[in-house]
Amino acid sequence: MAGLQDIRRRIRSVKNTQQVTKAMKMISAVKLRKSQERLVALRPYASKMMEVVRRVVGRIKGDSEIQPGPAAQAFLTPREEKRIRVVLVASDKGLCGGFNANVLKAANAFVAECPSEIVHLDVVGKRATEWAKKHKITPAGEYLNIPLTGFQRVVTEISNGAAAQYHAGEIDALYVIYNYFESAVAQTPTVFRVFPMDLDRRAEGRDAVEVSHLLEPDPNAVLETLLPRFVETELLRNLLESSASEHGARMAAMDKASSNAGEMIAKLTLTMNKIRQASITNQIIEIVSGANA
Amino acid sequence: MSQSIKLEVVTPERPVFSAEVAEVQFPTASRGYYGILPGHTPLMTEVGDGLLYYIQDGQKHWLTVFGGFAEVGPDRVTILARESETVDMIDLERAEASRQRALQLLKEAHTESDLAVAQAKLDASLIRLQAAGHPAGHGF
Repeated sequence: MAGLQDIRRRIRSVKNTQQVTKAMKMISAVKLRKSQERLVALRPYASKMMEVVRRVVGRIKGDSEIQPGPAAQAFLTPREEKRIRVVLVASDKGLCGGFNANVLKAANAFVAECPSEIVHLDVVGKRATEWAKKHKITPAGEYLNIPLTGFQRVVTEISNGAAAQYHAGEIDALYVIYNYFESAVAQTPTVFRVFPMDLDRRAEGRDAVEVSHLLEPDPNAVLETLLPRFVETELLRNLLESSASEHGARMAAMDKASSNAGEMIAKLTLTMNKIRQASITNQIIEIVSGANA
Repeated sequence: MSQSIKLEVVTPERPVFSAEVAEVQFPTASRGYYGILPGHTPLMTEVGDGLLYYIQDGQKHWLTVFGGFAEVGPDRVTILARESETVDMIDLERAEASRQRALQLLKEAHTESDLAVAQAKLDASLIRLQAAGHPAGHGF
């Protein structure tokens, strides 16, 4: 019968696809767990770092005898944002639902509304590179196919560069556009200003304990070394958030794809059975009428 | 006044150590050491590479620390280390291999920066070996 063969072939092909999507889902689940573990491990460090920075900054602010140095300025007094550096974090691979689309949409909106000039763009992931190409921006830094273990190197490179640029007056702020990891199934595209810091906003709901610390060798020297470390930690957190989000998004997308494939197989099987039944009935009618004749 | 200090050592990789201890000593970036007893004045400083010890139940224990910051309060010491290990996290064979490699690099180094990298590598391996009680570490 016409169609029967075709339907069988289609069922086979959908089944193959389903196998692939199922495998991808499982791989993503494992990768998600790894990224998430690192993210969870980093959190205590990041929050302690935040605490320490707040204390040191509070100390410098609270003591009129201390002249804030260049590093302290970065924390305390944001200057007018004329030139900024932006890090755009997307993924290298597709098949992860709205993960890239969402973050790139956020990037579009950011570029459209941002009054300052983007003088330095770093892209993480192939999709981010493609976005830059589309917008005719030549990224100054390009990071492709970075494994989880390579994040630290990327982060060090970006933060050292950005800190130097800030001190040289080449940039006024550093932004990161990435997917914030809400949960395994939810990601929010986020625009985050790494520095100058918004200490007051971040301190919401926490009452600052102002202890006057001895700062060795001196407050500004401590802050001078603390700033790049802090920026590094925040960047690392952002990259990990994005990585966990990517795998979460892919896992969800592949789960959806697998169940869609299952539905399709059920539908096709039903049609196939109907056609087969019809052809059998037809043959029986032919035989019966042939015998009667 | 409290009789113990809460020592916390965290790295970007993992929280390494957290417990009540009686005394802490850690290396600073300027190659000296800070010894901290309960009731210490609040202090904030940069941590160097080296060995940290703490005293718990009259016993001295060692940790390695590599760079970072220390924040000291009357009843707490928080170390934000770039890297840190407890003694049982140290892989002796790896540290020894790394020492040999560093010695090799040191011989082959021509430029100033090569030399610095090799020296840093050697120092790191010696710190680890010393923490683990290996005889080669005692030269450090």
